[in-house]
Amino acid sequence: MMGEEADDREVRMRLGGRDVALTVTHEQVAMAKEIVRRILVEPFTKRPWTELAFYLVSGGLAGLGLMFVGLTMVAGVALAITFFGVAVLALSVRSARGLGGWTRSLAGSMLAEHIDDPEPFVAKSGFLGWLQSALRDRVGWRAVGYLAVKVPWTLLGFYVAFSLWWDAVVCLIYPFMGSGASNPPLFGIERGLFFQDGNNYGPPGFFHAVAVVLCGGIFLLAAPWVMRGFVNVDRMLMRALLGPDPMAARVRTLEQARSQTVDASAATLRRIERDLHDGTQAQLVALAMRLGMAKEKLGQPDEVDLDRVRELIDEAHRGAKEAIAELRDIARGIHPPALDIGLEGALATLAARSAVPTGVSVDLQARPTPAIEAITYFCSAELLANVAQHAQASRAFISCAQQGTWLRLVVRDDGCGGAQLSTVGSSSSGLAGLTDRVHAVDGRLNLISPPGGPTVVTVDLPLSA
Amino acid sequence: MVEALRVAIAEDSAILRDGLVQLLVDRGFVITGAVGDPSALRSSVAQFQPDVAVIDIRMPPTFTDEGLRLALELRDRYEGLGILLFSQYIETRYAADLLSDNAAGIGYLLKDRVADVSDFVEALERVAIGGTALDPEVVTQLMGATRQIDSLSVLTTREREVLGLMAEGRSNAAIANALVVSEGAVEKHVANIFAKLDLPVSDQDHRRVLAVLRFLES
Repeated sequence: MMGEEADDREVRMRLGGRDVALTVTHEQVAMAKEIVRRILVEPFTKRPWTELAFYLVSGGLAGLGLMFVGLTMVAGVALAITFFGVAVLALSVRSARGLGGWTRSLAGSMLAEHIDDPEPFVAKSGFLGWLQSALRDRVGWRAVGYLAVKVPWTLLGFYVAFSLWWDAVVCLIYPFMGSGASNPPLFGIERGLFFQDGNNYGPPGFFHAVAVVLCGGIFLLAAPWVMRGFVNVDRMLMRALLGPDPMAARVRTLEQARSQTVDASAATLRRIERDLHDGTQAQLVALAMRLGMAKEKLGQPDEVDLDRVRELIDEAHRGAKEAIAELRDIARGIHPPALDIGLEGALATLAARSAVPTGVSVDLQARPTPAIEAITYFCSAELLANVAQHAQASRAFISCAQQGTWLRLVVRDDGCGGAQLSTVGSSSSGLAGLTDRVHAVDGRLNLISPPGGPTVVTVDLPLSA
Repeated sequence: MVEALRVAIAEDSAILRDGLVQLLVDRGFVITGAVGDPSALRSSVAQFQPDVAVIDIRMPPTFTDEGLRLALELRDRYEGLGILLFSQYIETRYAADLLSDNAAGIGYLLKDRVADVSDFVEALERVAIGGTALDPEVVTQLMGATRQIDSLSVLTTREREVLGLMAEGRSNAAIANALVVSEGAVEKHVANIFAKLDLPVSDQDHRRVLAVLRFLES
């Protein structure tokens, strides 16, 4: 029937007087062979037998368990009007939970079906508290439900699977039973698998015997799969009723998500406040101070140091404009608008505004999250301000590059160095604030500033936070 | 001023710190240290023994009340060191902590006050020589929160003004100056206030402050 090609095979047959040719691919053949092999080998592997063993053991356990739980439950309900009945009912639910635990560990060790433990039983204090907790224990009640479903299901499974095995054996030995053999039954049904002339139990015909043996073979091969079907339904039942309460798990997930969101928004508010406090407010105070000084100088009765006044007003003027700009930034999305076009543009703007000539190099494949961009920007701004104020540098350089999932910001200058995270006499103050901000997103800040310079500040930030 | 007052500054905002240094140097003060965090101020004060320390309340590492704790610590360690707390917010609680047993050489001002340079410098000098300088905001908050409303209502408007200025730590002369009245008139108001509120009379300004604050807090 089959062709001889090495790879794809052609199947030819006569159907209804016509020649039909089918091409079967190599893979299809291999798959078919595998399926046949599995079917033939399966009864002789370990798996159906462990499944059967599990079925027997867990079924027995469930049967006894249901008997106990059922009896206590009936007794509990019957006596519910008394305190004793309530206690019995609570005990019943607690035992069901225990049985559920045993069944879970049986499934784990025998079937390698590992079901997560449900929420542990937490009793309120006192005996009454214990009673209340036990009666409200969802896990316990779900275990009761499991037992109630499991026992009939197990009985049905026993009946079907055992019948198949039994029938298989009976069918297979049928030809050898001699003329006294009764017609093999099917699922225990009296009339048997093959009717043979009413009640006439004559010696079986040859074809009849072959058909019965074939049937026996099919039963034998099918039995493990039927068994597996029953076990698989049991697995589903166990996962649904003995595992963690899906509702409770969902509540937990949501609680976590909510607390993260709350934390994040609290952190955002804190950051805004910090931005306002360190930036605009400080700038406005400094501005008011300069104007105050200028005002006093102008009020002096003797000669007025006009150059100094002009200088003060100039500084105040600049400060006012910066404060306005910063305030606008904060109001508009709490991050510098320049960041809308990306770090490169924002840092270039920053460098252009810096008092010390500053070069910029940005090399990022992916855009960091807005929070990281903002921190990078504010770090650069503060570091450049430090350079301008303390370093006596003639040049500064900002580089911002991606290293894996991290962003590395390096700000270096050729100034006098000696910057510290906390210094006596001089200052570097803002650095500590920056460190705090960087830590908030699990980043790192490293300062190298030997006396005499140069100063190199390296900030590593995760690309997303 | 015979000798220039020596000032240490702890302020974590570079802009403000530099501005303060500029202002105080301009006014003839000697700056012994301008630092950005508590531990730096601690060592700076130990080394240079300034007359007065200007301390920002919110400083690294936690940016909460480092400055306040540092101020309490320094006040206990260095007798005669004036301490001016400097903040963008007024917390009456902080004022209470600070003035719990002694108001001598203590100041608590909003940062905004530097805009009025002379007032600020005057407050700083007062603190440096053992006086008290409380921000009007602190006094307003205390007067607003006090349960002594009934007692305060026996005071005239002018007397209440004098009470407020007294609580800020001002001397009779300064109060007279501020209200544009004679010092004698102020003395009369003060005597009336103490009599009406049944406060212990004291000739030292900072004790007077404490008495008034006790009254407002009670």
